[in-house]
Amino acid sequence: MSEWMKSRLIVILWPSFLMAGMAEVVFFTFIDPQQLYLLGRPVHFSQTATYSIGFIAFWLLCAASSAATLFFMRSSAEINPQPD
Amino acid sequence: MADARETDNQDAGDSLYAVRQKVYPRAVTGAFATARWAMVWITQLVFYGLCWLPWNDRQAVLFHLGERKFYIFGWVFWPQDVFYLSILLIISAYSLFLFTAVAGRLWCGFACPQTVYTEIFLWIEKFFEGDRAKRMKLDAQEASVGKLWRKSAKYVAWIALSLWTGITFVGYFTPIREILHGLSSLTLGGWEWFWIFFYGGFTYLMAGVMREQVCKFMCPYARFQGVMFDPDTLVITYDEERGEPRGSRRKGSDPRSQGLGDCVDCGICVQVCPTGIDIRKGLQYECIGCAACIDACDQVMDKVGSPRGLIRYSTENAIKQHWGGRDILRHVLRPRILIYSVVLCIICVTFVWALATRTPLRLDVIKDRSIISREAEGGMIENVYVLNLMNMAESDRSVQLAVSGLPGVSLDGVDAAIVMPPARNQSLPVRVRVPMDELEKGSHRIWFELRAVDDPSLLIREKAVFIVR
Ligand code: SF4
Ligand code: SF4
Repeated sequence: MSEWMKSRLIVILWPSFLMAGMAEVVFFTFIDPQQLYLLGRPVHFSQTATYSIGFIAFWLLCAASSAATLFFMRSSAEINPQPD
Repeated sequence: MADARETDNQDAGDSLYAVRQKVYPRAVTGAFATARWAMVWITQLVFYGLCWLPWNDRQAVLFHLGERKFYIFGWVFWPQDVFYLSILLIISAYSLFLFTAVAGRLWCGFACPQTVYTEIFLWIEKFFEGDRAKRMKLDAQEASVGKLWRKSAKYVAWIALSLWTGITFVGYFTPIREILHGLSSLTLGGWEWFWIFFYGGFTYLMAGVMREQVCKFMCPYARFQGVMFDPDTLVITYDEERGEPRGSRRKGSDPRSQGLGDCVDCGICVQVCPTGIDIRKGLQYECIGCAACIDACDQVMDKVGSPRGLIRYSTENAIKQHWGGRDILRHVLRPRILIYSVVLCIICVTFVWALATRTPLRLDVIKDRSIISREAEGGMIENVYVLNLMNMAESDRSVQLAVSGLPGVSLDGVDAAIVMPPARNQSLPVRVRVPMDELEKGSHRIWFELRAVDDPSLLIREKAVFIVR
């Protein structure tokens, strides 16, 4: 993996990890997973599974946001076709 | 500090793309290294050990996700206690502010898990591969049996330690004995496996591979520490006036007569630095304040017969104005520090007070929405409620429930004394009745009262609305 890719991956995955951690704590402090409904049915996973899936979902969402930020931050030089 | 912050942006930007030069920190001994090892021992004995401590027939410290309860010694915290958690967070943040303003990155150099685990991982590395020079040689060598065994032994030790760290971590969220039992009988749940590997993997990656890069590129604290510094903050400083011009000299010769400063330019301060910087270039944001360079330089100074402290804890003002220790100490007590300390004390006292006066009972009223109000026999109006009773303590408790607030109001269908099991909540449907002729139409305020039988001063009142149609 190139250094460029590596630094991009860290910039996407790391801040989203921190934010997902915070979101997880706040969300599940106020909401009991057993009161959640999934497609109209009560969630029947184990508590650990619900917390874990919740965390991963938060992480993915936040990572998508970080990736979008990076995507929109590309300079015009990077977007325009390079004359060779 | 301003300069340090400016270069920080450039460096961070550049180094993110630059190929990283591997840092081979050289092992140090000395007062600060001893202090750091003491911190490693203390924090890790607590971390690896605390989950094994029993208390009231359970794990003393357990953040039980399955039950949504946090057990911390004699206390049981519920999601409703989020208040305490937030105060704790505020206290931690404030302490960090205070410590940083007084003496820079004490946290980074001595207590941060990143530092602590890197120290342990480095120790293992040194055990198998030798110190800095040997490690550099080994990495440059062609593959050989000796190299293979040294490297693999190191990796095996690292992986074992990481896995144990992962198990311990998960052991704070699911009882550790259950996890070990699940491991030995191969019945451990998939998510537990996942988190053991996740946390273990992270430990390995951070302490074994990324090391100083975590501090440089990933740590939020390292990025904003600069705002907490001021010219009276104690930081690791190289005494330029005393050290320069640097240069090597013959042992025992007088440097001044050769036009030299005290720095012999041996470069050891750079070799010991875990982030690979040269402190002689001034304070840089990469410096985690570990004081390894102080220990190293002091040893060099002892050897060449110059006084210690060419690199030392000092402040920007002290260096400029040639203050001694006493002047520096006097400036520790500046307004900023006093304000931080007072605020911190107030929050801590509030926390302790709130914890000491926390009521071990809780009562929530949930109105049954399907039956709002109806007529009952004997000319009564009846409202139905669901009460949620919570016993936060870890012993049974008998309580009495009563209702007040309206003339002739009474409870129906509730025993004289309710026994609440330890650390549980239970829901209790109750009917409240009021004689019809006493009331106008509309909503009225009533109070539910929960009183502990063994301690009548323990009384909780919770208001509710009584509706007459
Ligand atoms: S410059 Fe000194 S105190 Fe700073 S990180 Fe390097 S060795 Fe530690
Ligand atoms: S360890 Fe001390 S003497 Fe050696 S190069 Fe560093 S500052 Fe100079």
